Amino acid sequence: MTAINSELAKELNEFGTFDFSACYNCGNCTAVCSLTTEDESFPRNMLRYSMVGLENDIKVSLKPWLCYYCGDCSTYCPQNAYPGELMMTLRRWLTSRYDWTGLSGLLYKSAVWNIFAFLLVAAGVIVYAAFNSFDLAEIMHGGHLFEMIAIAGVFAAILFPNIIRMWYFTIIKAGIKAPVKLYLKPIGSFFVHMFTQKRTLSCNDNKFRWFEHFILVIGYLSLLFITVFLNWFETQSLFINLLGYFVSAVVFIVTFHFIFERIRKTKEISKFSQPSDWLFVIWLFLMGITAFLVRLFIDLNILEHNIWLYLVHLIILAQWALLIVPFGKWTHFLYRSFAMYFQKIITDHSGFSGN
Amino acid sequence: MSKRIGVYICRCGGNISDYVDVDKVKGAIEKEKDVVLTKTTMFACADANQKEMEKDIQENDLDDVIVASCSPKLHLTTFRAVTVRAGLNKFNYYHANIREQVSWAHSDDKPGATENAIRVVKAAIAKMRHAKPLKPIKIHSKKAVAVLGAGVAGMRAAIALAAMDCEVYLIERNHFVGGHTAQWEELFNSEETGKNVISRLFHELLLYKNITIYTGAQVIENAGHIGDFMLKVRVEPAYIDEIPDPLEIKKAIEVCPVEVPDSFNFNLTQRKAIYRNNPEEFPEKTVIDIKNCTRCGECEKVCKSINFSQKEKIITLHAGTVLFATGFDPYTPRENEFGYSRISNVITLPQFMRLIALCDKKLIYKGKEVNKIAYVYCVGSRQPDGENKYCSRYCCTAAIFTSINVRKKYRNIANYHFTRGVRTYGKQEVYYNESLRMGDVYLQSFDHELPVVYQKGNKTLVKINDILTEQRELELEADLVVLVTSMVPREDQSTASLFKLPKGRDKFLKEIHMKLRPVETVIDGITIAGTCQGPMNIAESVNSSLSASAKAFSYISKGELELEPIVASINKNLCSWCNACYEACPFDAINKVDEGSKSYAVINNSICKGCGMCLPVCPYDAIELITYSNREIEEMIDMLAKD
Repeated sequence: MTAINSELAKELNEFGTFDFSACYNCGNCTAVCSLTTEDESFPRNMLRYSMVGLENDIKVSLKPWLCYYCGDCSTYCPQNAYPGELMMTLRRWLTSRYDWTGLSGLLYKSAVWNIFAFLLVAAGVIVYAAFNSFDLAEIMHGGHLFEMIAIAGVFAAILFPNIIRMWYFTIIKAGIKAPVKLYLKPIGSFFVHMFTQKRTLSCNDNKFRWFEHFILVIGYLSLLFITVFLNWFETQSLFINLLGYFVSAVVFIVTFHFIFERIRKTKEISKFSQPSDWLFVIWLFLMGITAFLVRLFIDLNILEHNIWLYLVHLIILAQWALLIVPFGKWTHFLYRSFAMYFQKIITDHSGFSGN
Repeated sequence: MSKRIGVYICRCGGNISDYVDVDKVKGAIEKEKDVVLTKTTMFACADANQKEMEKDIQENDLDDVIVASCSPKLHLTTFRAVTVRAGLNKFNYYHANIREQVSWAHSDDKPGATENAIRVVKAAIAKMRHAKPLKPIKIHSKKAVAVLGAGVAGMRAAIALAAMDCEVYLIERNHFVGGHTAQWEELFNSEETGKNVISRLFHELLLYKNITIYTGAQVIENAGHIGDFMLKVRVEPAYIDEIPDPLEIKKAIEVCPVEVPDSFNFNLTQRKAIYRNNPEEFPEKTVIDIKNCTRCGECEKVCKSINFSQKEKIITLHAGTVLFATGFDPYTPRENEFGYSRISNVITLPQFMRLIALCDKKLIYKGKEVNKIAYVYCVGSRQPDGENKYCSRYCCTAAIFTSINVRKKYRNIANYHFTRGVRTYGKQEVYYNESLRMGDVYLQSFDHELPVVYQKGNKTLVKINDILTEQRELELEADLVVLVTSMVPREDQSTASLFKLPKGRDKFLKEIHMKLRPVETVIDGITIAGTCQGPMNIAESVNSSLSASAKAFSYISKGELELEPIVASINKNLCSWCNACYEACPFDAINKVDEGSKSYAVINNSICKGCGMCLPVCPYDAIELITYSNREIEEMIDMLAKD
């Protein structure tokens, strides 16, 4: 026996969805979905859970992560209930539920809190710079140090505990008692999914978008590794420098295209953008472009006289690392990959235990 | 006496001639006595053949015509019209069915089918030897209509008929007109309230000098027939003189010590034994509910207009036709059906609608504010185990429309609909859509697993196996449970019984043909309109009432009526009034006549339907049915059964 709770629907509306209550249960969305299967059927049941408020059932479900938002369900919905947008919203809602700090929910729901947090981080960077008398070398050294500390810190304090919580909700609370070997088996495919998002290819007409997304993931990860860990750009080799410029240019163009799509609103996936969506793509773009400019200014030897540029870059970087990565949309990189991993464990387990 | 009979045998493009040798049939009957013309034809119903028939009839001076072809249901009227165009009486035509009853039925036996066809046609000839031209029975019809029931359907019909210059007697059992419509606030598919509609209709009624409204009135006796129904109507007095002093009346109501449940508010409130109309009702007057009055005399002390000496009146009205618009009763749930009458916060939709009308800023029931409302649908409709198998069709829309209004009128309302599938048909679907978009929760159960309303401590819970959520058992704690009740036939059907109106399996009054004759009854001159016929919303009721008005008007518009002449006739020399036919007649068409020492039966031709029920019960064979006399039928049988 489960209590009907219509408060959940109200909360979900704060996370971005709207009009999903218009659903009259025809099931077209599930019928047209190219990723739904008999065992893992969605999105209609997710709309239903949301409507009657089966909060716990959604919390232990991986289904929102198994949807890659081709948008067919929204296109073919006769009631304009936008099931695709509900699935998107549920991913935001789940992110807030996995996050032990509770900050995710706050930032997803409130634009005011977002502005406050972003301003706070910016102020922190400027205070830090002032503390160092706006000395470029000093600040750059600190910035580099910050990158490493932030990545390690955010992962250890926020992301890792949140992944554990996700595991706890979706595996342990769901009553899956899988032996260790079931955890070991899908590790390979876990990394494949993490870096290729190959499940997207099963979506209808999503090939180009998958390719763009793939370029972005690989591009930004490479840039991250190159700049943070390897310092390859310190090299004098003309070839590597030119290659660096070229790769950066491609990545910026693709990022800009993502922003442009959200402005144009022609596809279901880009029709309804929440602050978290805008922040993610715009900050990705700004971060790249400022890093690129910083690099260019260094190469042209004019950064000394344009210290503001580095400060802007550092502010964006700090906002990205301290807000968007741990609490914002960046987390989908992890949760999607782990969802595929956990789902595989669950499927193997049900086959293993003969249910 | 010899006759001149023409026979046409139709091939029906092979439908008949593939199995029946039509030429052989022609050969077999050509030489029959009285047959002067025999033809086969490819399609008897074709225009060219019809013209040829007309010519044949005139040139050969035919007395009677037979077409052997399809079922008379298909083309009897077609060929009757042909004979009439050629100057004959339509009763000089006979339609012999050799398709449905012969060629199609015996396609495996061609010689047998041909033989069968020959006999069918010969029987037809035997019958036509006796055929006489008949004239329709003409009766006088009074240009007056009695409309029974002054709800929205009755009032609308009265206005329509009055506008066509009929005398209208609008007879309402209650002291006020308006029916259930007066009880509703906002109406769906309309910008108006029930009060608006009833007030508009009532004031329009008053404009017509030819409408007489009788309130507190009931038909207690019916005699007569189409064209002239004689109705005895009992009119209850108000026990208050006309135009009383308003202040005195107000005082009289105040001092009355008797309180009874107010049926206008479905017993949610109490009223006195002396009471005024609700603001939604008309005419505006005060009446004494004599059944509940204790005659304590308190009101008489303060009001001079109280007059207990008023007597009920019996008046006699003559009307050419009667229009039934006697309405419905809302279904009353059984004891403990979904907790009704056991759990205090379980009410019906009509009660809920009155509750909203009575609550202003906050929705309060029994002292508690209501926020979470559970609506249980199909209560009294589509009963898996009960008798009401039908869908009441108005209730889904009414419930959803009401739930939308509740949300708009009060704050913090959450609606939960426990349905068995939503049927907001037609334009009403927009309300369902609006309600969904407002965030109302809809749940659905199977017929065999209805929701359960129960109490746990002081909580009222509704439990359902929701088929929309993987049949999960879901539970809601509700502040108020609204049972969306159906429409049922009036419990008191005494007036319909006076007129011997037939009822359907659902116990609503029954029309002749659901699709083609939807407002007529098998009792000539009686039409039905609105919810006495079955569940309808207001628009549908008015639709049917206007349709019934048009039909009713057609009975009386000419002042004269033509009835089919196929009736029973009694040979008074053979009859000695044994009463058997009188008992057998389903239409009360037989009367006893005393002539000196002799008594015999006579048929009232205006009422007789020619059903033949009286024929076999007559011990003296004194009754014959015109066009179906014993001799005609016997001779037909002889031809059919001849070796």
